[in-house]
Amino acid sequence: MSLPARTVTAMKPIIMLRHRGLVWLLVSLFMLPVLLGLCGTVAPALGFTPTFAPGDGFAQILTDPRLLPALGLSTFTGLLATFLVLAITVMALVCVHDTRWWSWMNAAIPPVLAIPHAAMAVGLVFLLAPSGALVRLVSPALTGWERPPLDWIVPDAQGWSLIVGLVIKETPFLLLAAIAQLPALDVDASLRIGRTLGYAPARCWSRLILPRLYPRIRLTLLIILAFNLTVVDMAILLGPGNPPTLSVLLMTLVNDPLSRAAASAGALLLVAVVGLSFLLLFALEIFVSGIARRRRQSGVRGHGFSALRVLGKGVVMLILSTSLVTMLLLLVWSFTRRWRFPDAFPAQWTLSNWSTRTDVLMQPALTTLIIAMCVAALAISTAIAWLELERRGAAPRLDGIWFVPLLVPQISLLFGWQAVALWAGLDGTWWMVVYTHWLYTFPYVILILAVPWRELAPEWGHAAHTLGAGDWRVLWRVRLPMLIRPLSQAAAVAVAVSVALYLPTLLIGAGRHQTLATELVTSVGGVDRRVVAALAVLQSILPLLAFVLALMVPRWQSRRLARQSTRSLTRTAVA
Amino acid sequence: MSIVSRIIAHPWCGSDDRVSPPGRLVNRGLHQSRQGRLHWHVLVGLVMLIAALPSQAIEPDAGWQEALQEARGQSVYFHAWGGSEQINRYLAWVAERVDEEYGVTLRHVKVGDIAEVVSQLQAARLVGRHDSGNVDLMWVNGENFAALKHDGLLWGDFARHLPNASLLRESPSISMDFSVPVEGLESAWGGAQLVFIHDTATVKSPPRSATALLEFVRDGGRFAYPAPPAFHGTTFVKQLLIELNAGKATSMALYDPVTEANLEAVTAPLWAYLDELHPLMRGAGESWPVSGEMTRQLLDDGELDIAISFNPNAASAAVANGQLPDTVRTYVFDQGTIGNTHFVTIPWNARAKAGARVVANFLLSPEAQARKLDPRHWGDPTVLDLSRLRAADKAVFAGIDVGVWSLAPGSGSVLAEPHASWTEALEAAWVERYGQ
Repeated sequence: MSLPARTVTAMKPIIMLRHRGLVWLLVSLFMLPVLLGLCGTVAPALGFTPTFAPGDGFAQILTDPRLLPALGLSTFTGLLATFLVLAITVMALVCVHDTRWWSWMNAAIPPVLAIPHAAMAVGLVFLLAPSGALVRLVSPALTGWERPPLDWIVPDAQGWSLIVGLVIKETPFLLLAAIAQLPALDVDASLRIGRTLGYAPARCWSRLILPRLYPRIRLTLLIILAFNLTVVDMAILLGPGNPPTLSVLLMTLVNDPLSRAAASAGALLLVAVVGLSFLLLFALEIFVSGIARRRRQSGVRGHGFSALRVLGKGVVMLILSTSLVTMLLLLVWSFTRRWRFPDAFPAQWTLSNWSTRTDVLMQPALTTLIIAMCVAALAISTAIAWLELERRGAAPRLDGIWFVPLLVPQISLLFGWQAVALWAGLDGTWWMVVYTHWLYTFPYVILILAVPWRELAPEWGHAAHTLGAGDWRVLWRVRLPMLIRPLSQAAAVAVAVSVALYLPTLLIGAGRHQTLATELVTSVGGVDRRVVAALAVLQSILPLLAFVLALMVPRWQSRRLARQSTRSLTRTAVA
Repeated sequence: MSIVSRIIAHPWCGSDDRVSPPGRLVNRGLHQSRQGRLHWHVLVGLVMLIAALPSQAIEPDAGWQEALQEARGQSVYFHAWGGSEQINRYLAWVAERVDEEYGVTLRHVKVGDIAEVVSQLQAARLVGRHDSGNVDLMWVNGENFAALKHDGLLWGDFARHLPNASLLRESPSISMDFSVPVEGLESAWGGAQLVFIHDTATVKSPPRSATALLEFVRDGGRFAYPAPPAFHGTTFVKQLLIELNAGKATSMALYDPVTEANLEAVTAPLWAYLDELHPLMRGAGESWPVSGEMTRQLLDDGELDIAISFNPNAASAAVANGQLPDTVRTYVFDQGTIGNTHFVTIPWNARAKAGARVVANFLLSPEAQARKLDPRHWGDPTVLDLSRLRAADKAVFAGIDVGVWSLAPGSGSVLAEPHASWTEALEAAWVERYGQ
């Protein structure tokens, strides 16, 4: 907390009061959908709203014969995918760090992260199906297959396709979170010390670095776990359909008034599943850290297995490159006219998938873009407002609560929020959709901005104050320009999150706002594959563009500043 | 209560006094929602006041000029299955035309299954939203129409007052929808018939009956159907049901409302058949295509030998589009396949009723019907009586070439849909057996 800020607020009690109003406004804007949403799910589940959702929800869902298989499928795919994400992240750190692949990996993560879930899922089906691009590439030359094999199916009934999709999509997320923590852990020093003590590099990681890293990525891991257990769009596209995962099953129940109570009760069960999984993770954590402590104390030095290192490197590279190949494949399909099995490449190309379908493609693209830009602007300005209030001592640090929407299953919160919107006659309104998107983008934005905002040296502001600038001028002319890089990154992340959001648009938008995400999920299986590919390409391009802009804007800014300072320097020289 | 018996207890499946009449349900809904609204007024104030303003009401049989006037400038939200890109593009063309002609903005809300919209309307009724609903026009038929009609969720007899209704064909499938009287509550739009598509390059003589199909998959033929309640799947199951009961005493029960007793008797041969078919299918009865369109895609990929469609001209369109090889042909079972009419209707709480009426009338115009029949655009059979058209319009219809890939005219008869109540009962029974 900076001294001048405190004096300023103390001197102006009216402003302080206004600040307090703003603090409450922001907190309640954020908590309103969370609390009302949960109430809106709990009330129908417990039978408090008999006209809106008649029947005993828990009795209905618990006697539904599809519940157990769906529950089993959700926990199996969710837990296994999360375990694999963690394992591969650790492998990536241990095996790739300090090799020439490290910078390549770092460069590949942001674009891979920007690919929306639905687009990735669609592309994976095109890639991995028995008649998919991989088999086409090697058939019939290597396999002898003139027709697609019958040995597997994508999406399969056991959930493996879904697991593959989740691992490919979520590993870069955890990896990025882990890499961001490495500077704080001073990894190079730890590795040096470990090696001096005679430990193999992998042992240095497991003994010296991972125990300190894990607590720092635990929250991200929990977010991933909650996501994997409850995801809807990827489970529709990659998961088994009959029965589907629990979250998809609940989606089929929620729109029917006769089963809405059951859907709400199921959504609460999902909360319990996520909660129990968290507990399981904590238990495992205690168990593993116990073993690790004993092994640490044993002092055994061991030796590295170079074969394992190569394997680890391979897995990580495979995952990242699959994402990029998937994108490439979508691009190819969007320009294909004919591509039959077992040709390795399309036989006829065409532009018409794009040129004759502009109406089908551009309308949802435009809706997506407008929502994403409004949401990004809203999220950035509210995050700045909050962080500025926090810096001036008017607001407490509430980092904990911003995570809540990311840890509560989307379904459990949005079923209720939809019910509330329906009740109030606000479902299907554009601003409600934007508001709900904001709820899911704000946490990312504020968490990205918080660290640089708090760490920016207050002396710059003090100097400006001394030169006579007011609070607003300091914010506008000093802090924001200095923080342009994290600000533009946060805006890009906000756009990426909003473009990928499926459930909020679907449930709150009442079908009136068709974004690329909702359009893509409805289209798959029905609409022409080539047009689906074009939709997926569009959905991936928007966040990529946002990230490119986020890289360019700070550069333009600094170039402009450089020009300005040269000019003023010249002017001074002339004077 | 099992799913099946719950469905059978559904109000329009016969009289059952455990279910309260819809009127009473609605009144309770209204009462509850007024309390809810008051509470919300406090919270959202002005917004709600504006939303609650009553909209101007037009009657279903109001004069056409009045409808045209009121429609100008309205936005019509048309909830229609969005699973076919061709249909989506056809509707985009309709949107262009009604904008030019009548100043109506048509927005196609793409839905996966229109039953979801029926549920939405039921939910809207429960919370007492009797005006400014989200749905202005919807594509519907069969059991969904029966449910809407029974629950009083339809606007009224608008269809018989559309100017173009005079051009309609006289046909039992237009006046009765799955054995439920239409009474002008929905307006006919197009015809459909269950057809199969095969590639002559891989399968010379495809199976032309349920028994032949079983033989075909036993010999390694690649077959799968979409899992019900996807409607191609449900229709295929109904087709099997009709065929497996043909010539038996049970066969006529399908055209009366379903009862628990006859459901069991009629479906027994079906389950025996499916128990044998499923393990031999692509996906072994564990993974299913999600739609008829997807079987078309899988036929092109070579993962299936037979695709299922509900459009006799789908194959021609797909060949023209580069989605199927030109060696494909369309056929039906020797004993005929299920055919029906599909409709559009206007819910009671629609916001833009006049606009919806104008769009429904345009859909029946010779211009719109001819374009719909053309396989390059959709290939959906017309509901118009061509003899009632002007000479110029007749010539347009005569000039449409459906192509050799389509179902040859006059091949295979059309079987009538079972009574609407069978759809949901069958779907529920199917899910109970195979959906776990």
